[in-house]
Amino acid sequence: MSQEHAFVLPNSGHNFDAKSSKMGMWLFLYTELLLFGGLFLVYMIYRYLNQDAFLLASFELNVWMGATNTIVLLTSSMTIAMAITALQKGNKKLSITLSWVTIAAAIVFLVIKYFEWGAKFEHGYFPGMDHYNELPHGERLYFYLYFFMTGLHAVHVIVGAVFILFVIRGIQKGKVTKDRYSLLENSGLYWHLVDLIWIYLFPLFYLIH
Amino acid sequence: MASKENNNVHPEHEHISSYKEHFGTWVGLILLTLMTVFVSAFGADLSTLTVVTALTIATIKALAVALYFMHLKYEPKVYRAWIIVVMALFLFFLTMVILDFTTR
Repeated sequence: MSQEHAFVLPNSGHNFDAKSSKMGMWLFLYTELLLFGGLFLVYMIYRYLNQDAFLLASFELNVWMGATNTIVLLTSSMTIAMAITALQKGNKKLSITLSWVTIAAAIVFLVIKYFEWGAKFEHGYFPGMDHYNELPHGERLYFYLYFFMTGLHAVHVIVGAVFILFVIRGIQKGKVTKDRYSLLENSGLYWHLVDLIWIYLFPLFYLIH
Repeated sequence: MASKENNNVHPEHEHISSYKEHFGTWVGLILLTLMTVFVSAFGADLSTLTVVTALTIATIKALAVALYFMHLKYEPKVYRAWIIVVMALFLFFLTMVILDFTTR
């Protein structure tokens, strides 16, 4: 007990600071934007150099699966935003439900992605496979970027879903509450970033014909 | 420790976005998505969805997500200022890449 007056241990739960916590999360998100920004630069240059090949290769993607996934992600972004509103208003139960809906959406997204990637694997489009090796240079670049960028994005989806799962436990245990919702807010911010990146990935890989 | 007390709970005047606002943002985002998909899928012969159009619409969607879902609209100015710094940095990289590319 006497230790409380001496100093506050890091991560002891007694040095909670909502504003800094949010600011730290945003700083991290800015670096994430630049990470994907760099990849978009690579995409831009190679697309400019191989316009016809990129166009041809993009026809291999299923626009409807991509569009469904876009809608799934946008909807999950709304539910996690609403989960924050619910917790701020003191509705713990609704907040937990909405967070679960968000995780369910993440799983739906990954299942659709699994089938999409599965179809590409079957046709041998993954870098290193026989069919991939026979493709012209430009189309190989397209599929390489497609797998790398959507793959890195999928990793973010998994991390975001695990983060939200962790927060749900926090709400249930009473560690994340109406007065102390930073963790939920930060997991929401991360989830919105996942959505934000997909907003650019979708038209760049699926739509431009 | 007195100064810490202020940060222990969120201040009373912290903005709480309404469910209605989130739902409205979602409707806008879905409409923009459907619009781009249908133009791309059915109007490909007539009106090609150019890179510029696609990126403009994507940016409008990204702004809607950032401003409303991420509450950027209600955050202190410094958050929006940083976004501009990040954009400037990205544009700098873009310019350098283009310069490198065109002067080879």
